[in-house]
This record gives sequence, C-alpha cells and structure tokens, in this order.
Amino acid sequence: MASQGAPAHSRRRLYPQQQYDFSAQQPPVVDPAAAAYSASPIYGQSGQPVAGGMFTPATAIPGPVSSAVGSAQIGGPQVGINPAPSYGYNTPGAEAMAGQFGQMNLGASTGAGTPAAAPALPLNSLYNIDLLHQMPPPINDLSLPPPPLILPPTASVTNSPDSNAPYEYMRSTLNAIPATNSLLKKSKLPFALVIRPYASLLDKSKPVQVVGDTVICRCRRCRAYINPFVQFLETGNRWKCNMCNLTNEVPSTFDFNVIKNIASNRYDRAELNHSVVDFIAPPEYMVRPPQPLVYVFVLDISVNAIKNGLLATAVRTIQESLDRIPNKDGRTRIGLIGVDSCLHYFSIPASSEDYVSEPSLLVCPDIEDPFLPVPENLLVTLSNSRENIDNLLSRLPDMFAQNTNQNNALGSALTAAYKLISPVGGKIVCITASLPNVGIGKLEFRDDKKFLGTNKEGTLLQTANSFYKSFAVDCNKQQVSVDMFLFSSSYQDVASLSSLPRFTAGQTHLYPGWSASRSEDAIKFAHELGEHLSQEVALEAVLRVRGSTGLRMNAFYGNFFNRSSDLCSFPTFPRDQSYVVEVSIDETINKSWVPIQSAVLHTTCHGERRIRVTTIAIPTTNLLQDVYASADQVAITAYLTQKAVEKALSSGLGDAREYLQTSLTTMLQTYKKDLMTTNVGASAPLQFSANLRMLPLLVNALIKHVGLRKSAQIPSDLRSAGLCLLSTLPAVHLVKYIHPDFFSLHDMPDEAGNPSEETGEIILPPKLNLTAGNIATHGLYLINDGQILFLWVGRDAVPLLIEDVFGVPSLQHVKAGKAEVPELDNPMNQRVRSIIAKCRESKDQITWPNLYIVREDGDPALRLWASTFLIEDKSDQALSYYQFLGQLRDKVNN
Amino acid sequence: MNGPACIFAFSLVISAIEIFTQIFFTIMFSDLESDYINPIDLCYRLNNYVLPEVAIHTFLGTVFLLNGYFFSLLINMPILTFSINKVYTNNYLLDATDIFKTVRNHKKESFVKLGFFLVFFFFSLYRMIMALVDADNI
Ligand SMILES: [Zn+2]
Repeated sequence: MASQGAPAHSRRRLYPQQQYDFSAQQPPVVDPAAAAYSASPIYGQSGQPVAGGMFTPATAIPGPVSSAVGSAQIGGPQVGINPAPSYGYNTPGAEAMAGQFGQMNLGASTGAGTPAAAPALPLNSLYNIDLLHQMPPPINDLSLPPPPLILPPTASVTNSPDSNAPYEYMRSTLNAIPATNSLLKKSKLPFALVIRPYASLLDKSKPVQVVGDTVICRCRRCRAYINPFVQFLETGNRWKCNMCNLTNEVPSTFDFNVIKNIASNRYDRAELNHSVVDFIAPPEYMVRPPQPLVYVFVLDISVNAIKNGLLATAVRTIQESLDRIPNKDGRTRIGLIGVDSCLHYFSIPASSEDYVSEPSLLVCPDIEDPFLPVPENLLVTLSNSRENIDNLLSRLPDMFAQNTNQNNALGSALTAAYKLISPVGGKIVCITASLPNVGIGKLEFRDDKKFLGTNKEGTLLQTANSFYKSFAVDCNKQQVSVDMFLFSSSYQDVASLSSLPRFTAGQTHLYPGWSASRSEDAIKFAHELGEHLSQEVALEAVLRVRGSTGLRMNAFYGNFFNRSSDLCSFPTFPRDQSYVVEVSIDETINKSWVPIQSAVLHTTCHGERRIRVTTIAIPTTNLLQDVYASADQVAITAYLTQKAVEKALSSGLGDAREYLQTSLTTMLQTYKKDLMTTNVGASAPLQFSANLRMLPLLVNALIKHVGLRKSAQIPSDLRSAGLCLLSTLPAVHLVKYIHPDFFSLHDMPDEAGNPSEETGEIILPPKLNLTAGNIATHGLYLINDGQILFLWVGRDAVPLLIEDVFGVPSLQHVKAGKAEVPELDNPMNQRVRSIIAKCRESKDQITWPNLYIVREDGDPALRLWASTFLIEDKSDQALSYYQFLGQLRDKVNN
Repeated sequence: MNGPACIFAFSLVISAIEIFTQIFFTIMFSDLESDYINPIDLCYRLNNYVLPEVAIHTFLGTVFLLNGYFFSLLINMPILTFSINKVYTNNYLLDATDIFKTVRNHKKESFVKLGFFLVFFFFSLYRMIMALVDADNI
C-alpha cells in the first residue's frame, strides 16, 4: 500500500526544532557561517523575544554563550525537544500492530462482497490528544500521508503493492467508511473523495500503466471497469463485479496477448495490478474521430496591453512555446484574434503553399454581431504554417505598438473565437489587460470600496453579466474551454471573467500590477504560459465516479460542467487541478470494504481515445472511533474549502467563515460527546483524534485566508482569484496555499540547501510554525505559499549575512519588493538560491512564484502583507490560533 | 353572471393554469434528477415559462386589487412578492451551470406553489359559487 506511514518520527529528530522553547540549551547552530552571523556583536542585542509571540524564540541566547556556539553539534542539544510524544498512526507501535494483524491473516473470509457483521481487521487506532496542550501545533504532520487504508490481504486478486490508489490520485476524507448513513451523520465528518486523475503536467514525469490491447472488461450492469479488487469465479471464467455484485463473463482475450499472439497470464494485466491505469479505447468510445488539439489566443491589443508590455511578452512566449505545444501527430491548430474596440483576425496561409503569400490582418469593427471575415486560414495547422506563424508573431507587437485604443471587446472576441473553433472544439486562451467595456458581455466598474468588508461584498464575487454563464454553456456544447490570464492594473471584474474557466474546465490566472519592464514579472508570466501550453491536456473528457452499491455520488466540486447528475464534462481536461466529490450513503453497506472508481474518458492531445481509471478500496466500519481514527485531515480540508468557496459565491463570505467554524465545532463536540469517556465538564480539555490534530489549524488558516478573511482592505479581484485557486488546487498545494511553508535560513542545518545524497534533490530546511515568535530580528526567513515567496530580512541582520546572500555591504542597500537573490559565489548564497529554486520547482503545477524581499525595517505595507501569512498570530480581525482553540473549547464545553 | 362571480371564475382559470405549470416544472426537475433531460435543455425550456408565470399571477393580483378583494390579494401576497422580487433582482432564470446544486430548492419552491394554488383553486371555486348563489338570491 502506497499510503503506508512514512517514518516521520525519525525524520523529525534529524533537525533542530526551532519552534520549541529550549532557551536553556545550546542553540542548534550547525553551519559555521551561520555561527559566524550569530556570534557577531549585533547578535547579543537581539536576545529579546519578539513581541507578540507566545514562545521564546529558539535563538534567544545571551551573548556570552555565543563563544560556545561553534562547537554545537547537530543532533546533540535538541534531544528531547519534542515536547509531546508523537501520537497517531505513525507511532511505531500502531504501525507494527497493523502490520502484524495484516500478516496474521485475520478475517481471511473477508473477500470482496462477503457480508461481514463486524469489521474483521483492526483498523487504525484512535489516539487522543489535547489540542491546547500541544502547542505549538506539530506542523510536520501536514506533510504526513493519510491514515493507511487497511484491507484484508485477500482484497486484491494480484496482491500487487500498487493495487490501491496512491493518495495523490485519490484520497477519501474517511479511510474507514461508516457502514450506515446514521453513523455517518452521527460522526459529523464529511464523506467525500478528492480526485486528481493526473498527477503531473507531462506523462513522462509520472508514467501510468497503459492497457493497450483495447480489451476493456466492464460490468454489464453498472459499467464499472475491472480492477484489482474483483473476484474471479468458476475457475476464472467469470468475474464478480465489486460495485454491484453482478457476475460477468471474462472476455476470451483476457488470457491471450493479441498483440504478440501468444497465451498470457491475466494476473500480469495492468488493470489487475495497478489502481491507476489508462485504457486505450476502441472506436465504440468515440462520438467522432479524435479531434486535434486547438489553441485560439485572444490577445488584448488595446493601449493597456501595449503600455505594460503584455502583448509583446505574450506573443514572444507563444512563439517560444510553439515547439512545446503537444503536436506529436502534427495536427495541432493555432489561431489568433486581437481585440480592442474592433476584432482583428489574422489570416495565416500555409507556409509550403506559396512563399509570396504573407499573413494578413483583417479588422472587423462589428462587435455586436461578430462574424468570421474569411472562411479559412484563420485557424491553421501548426506544422503546415509554422514559418508564417513565426513570421506573424515576430511582427505582431510592432503592428500595434502605436495603438491608442482604450477599449476591450473581450466578449465579442470570445464569441468570434468560439465561432472559429466550435466545429472542432479546443482551448481559448485569453490574455487581457483591461475590463471588457464594450461589445457583447461588457462589464462595469463595480468595485466600490465601501462594499468591502460588508455583507454586500458577496455580490462583488458573483457574476455581473449572464453572458459569462450562458457562453460557458455554449462552450460546453461545442467542447470549448476558456482560460483567463488577467493583467489589469485596475479593477477587471475577475469574478465575472472567472465564471468562464470555472464552467468550462479552464483556469483563471491573475497577475496584479504586472509590468513587463520588471524582469521578474516577465519571467513569471512567460514560464506559466509556457508550462500551461505545453502540458499534455486531454480533450473532450467526461468524468464519472462509481461506487459500490449503497454509495451515491452526491455533489461535484471543481472547474467543469455538470452535464447530468453524475457526469462532469470537461471540454479540455487540465492536469493541474483536482476535484472533490461528495458521497452519500443510501443503503447500509454490508461489505468489510468497498471500492470506488473514477473514470475519465478523454482524447489525448496526441489523438488517442483513452480512459483513465482510478480505483480505491476503503474499509468499512460500524464504530465511530474507527471513523475518526482513519479520517484524513487534508482531504477534509479540501472538502471544507470547496464548500466554503461555494458558500462565499452564493451567500457571502460571512456565511463561508461561519460554515467552517460550525463544521469544526460540531466535529469537536461529537468527538467529546461520543468518544471521550472522561473529562466531561465545563473545564474539560479540548481533545481530538491525533490524525485530525492539524484540522483546527487548517480551518483557522482558511478563515484567515485572503479569499475568505474578514477585511475591508482586500480588492474583490484578489479575493475572486484566491477563491479560484482554493477551489482548484490539488490537495498538497492547497495545504501549502492555506498554511504556507516557513523556513529559517540564517541558521539552517548543514544539509539544507544542498542536494541530498540519496535523491540528488535539494533538501529544504525544517519547517517552522507560522508565528512572529519564530522570527528573530537578526534572521533571514522564507515563506512559501506556492504562489508567492517572501524572503524576510530581520532588521538586525548582520552585515556578513547580508553580504553573503545579497552581495551588498549592509541591510540599507538591500532592494526590497519583487526581486531576485543575486547569483554570488559563496555557499550561503548558493544554498539560499537552491532553496528558492526548489520551492519553485514543480512538475504538476504551472505556477512560478515571485520572490518578494521584505525588510523588517522597510516598507510597512510589504511587511504587513508578509505578516498576514503568520497565521498562528492574532490579526486585527481574527483570533490567534491559541485564542481560536480557546474559543472552540468554550463552545464545545457549553 | 355577475361581477364577483366573473372575477373568481377568472381566478379559477388562473389557478388551474398555475397548477399545471407547477406540475410541469416539478416533473421536469424530477426528470433532471433522474437524468432524463440534460440541464441545458431543461433551462432552455423552463426559462420560457418563468416570466409568463409571474406575469399572469401579477395580473391576477392586480385584478383583485382594482376590484377591492383585499383578502384574496393578501393570501396571494407572500408568493407574489417572492416571485416579483426574483424578477426584480434579476435571478429568476434557471442557470444551467449550477442547476444540480439548486434543483432541490427549485423543486421545493414548485411544490409550495403547487400546494398554494391547489388551495386557492378551491377557495376561488367556493367564492365563485357563493357569488352565483348570492346573485340568485336577489
Ligand atoms: Zn457492476
């Protein structure tokens, strides 16, 4: 089982744990360079704890001790720092126990579909922890895998280690499912699946097994695909569907390799060994021949996009990406439409045809009823017209360099682009720098500052013009997706514009205050657009999730269109998003475990019809404590986030925050009422299951997140963009987005910032709790939420550190704001840059976070912004984590 | 037929139309839930009926108001205000993009309206007969 617990315990011991108070001990300085920074005279002055923190900063050592600093050894002083024993499913004892029971073959009768009165296997054990006693929260728990799915060894026909779904592809909020709906209701925990069919932008970074012989064995009744958890009956001629229990014939070709024309062993087949497989579909699975990949770029050519250099950067990036756009079969097509108050079409003749014919520009002023001026050459095959496309793209910025038109008829351009590609389907990529103010679907400036922070703020997050919803419906009919890259320097109504990507399986990317004159901005956009265009996107896809009898897929969350009650349609299927499916229990489940299967029928960008099938098997239980002990806090957070975003968009931010708070409170109340036998009373401690102990922190962080927090300062565009990310990010990235990683760099251990000896990957420093208490005035810190990086420089940072990292003599010379760390030839600088590069590296996201250098003595606005990421602290509108827990305890005890 | 009898005969007809409309809506929503119709077609079809439905109900209300049947108007008021408010705030149309999340509420709304118009149908019938009987007595 891939989700078996990692030995977090031992990993935790490796590094000094800065967040705990061990001021009586030696500081965990390990790097001689770091020791040098600390040993300087300035160091002594910074010995006071930073105000506002609850804990003494780890580095608060009185001056005299610093002479001994150099001799401090890693692994020495920090023994016993871990204030509380690490409970939970990773406790060696628990793991050993689960392992033993697994080997003892307990409950050997619990095959698929065998009725089991009680669960025969011991599931994960429940460990209580006192939340208020476990301060600071052990944030390394956030990177732990979910509680293991404990299945009888007979569950899988092949017993392959890859039988059950890896959690990055599919994870359930409950890794032990209640057998009855009443138990589910009683638990107050949500039951949902977090599904991510693709875990990387390119197939080659995470290859998936392919079933290539087009033998697709499915249940006759429920249409489930055969999977590692079915049972073969009657000497293997039949198989019993594990969803609906129907007995089906095994196809004759199942034991025969049609490609090599020899007999083969069915137990070697990929679909019986792997939980994630791609089936190559026979022609029956096609409504039409596989369509080519089509990209139409709608480019803003108004003065707004000329002034900030957007058009030039966009065009150059497209040009550079032409070779990276998937085009294995040579059928990929490209089109371009420029828009200001007119529509500008580009007719691109095929390069081979006639060398005299040059790309030409056709301007149509009719924006109320857009039409295509010429029938052909507007959408051209990339391979045939490569030179002319290149030629056009090189000239395009100059063609409009003198444009002074202020308007943007984006809706009309979208309609035109739709007309252009609707016979085939594909992606419309909008790159726009202003509010669409003329033509179809024009929007108004409605960002009234006096609404912010009030109940009316919710209306600013809703779609202002119904065009953006009705157009999304039209797009779905013709298999068209829309992606938005938004760059306005002022209000752009992201809320309305993001409706299109939301319902056509696209994505919204907002670049506030972007300008090509800043190289960091240009690099960010170029990188992200390039990655976006080169990802192996799937086309004409539908997602269906099937569960064992008794389970029903109730609601779906993410960017797509619900074509029927249980079918999500994706004109194009992006690889960097994830989806949440709420499951309800309609009938009592009488199996000891149940399978759930997701299937994405799609056309690959290489022109092949395929089905990606992911199967997960989850044990069931009749006991509330099992449900709690196997709940996955990260998946629950993903579910709560989706619900909160839905609430924010439909009934306002206040309701969304209220929902989060209430959900958490009822969970804690249920836990106290039904699972705690002692400590009942008004002064009882706030207890929770160890595997859920980070949930309160995540919920608290979510309430303080830019998309949801109570504030009158956040422009509605930023909120909308935040909500878009919250509702699409895959679980691991979502956790980081809600609860950023926080590293201390000036005193990081030796190995941090250097490549690991085993994997060759850069080792990151240990994570710190997000509180100002962990920030020493002489320190250097990095905050990473996956979208933005902050490099925090303390006001007493020693010149040596500044010199090494930034190459300037003192703090006053460090340029704050959006910047990069210069390349210098010293180990500290290289390690810092390696860590930043590691934070930016991603094979499954297109995002390239900008780095902001924040000086503690510098711009207060920037400093304040960075400190909103310190989510364990109190802010003007929200409680600190400790206060939040105290408030929860009071609510639970009353 | 005298004036009051005419008005309640009219209200009888309107109630009957409303009953059929709401039954139609409810059936369509159930069809959607059991996937007999896709959301795009459903919204396209039903959205044609939303405004006329509110319009005839409003017309009925106006007739009651002008003729001074304030009690009849009063019992129509809750639903009438609800409908008019939806039109006024411009969210009366069904939205295919989130219909699966709102269909339960739409169905509930149709049921409530159906129940009300059934009661109101018999109320109108009673008032019409009473008016006719009164006229005969003179
Ligand atoms: Zn079946």
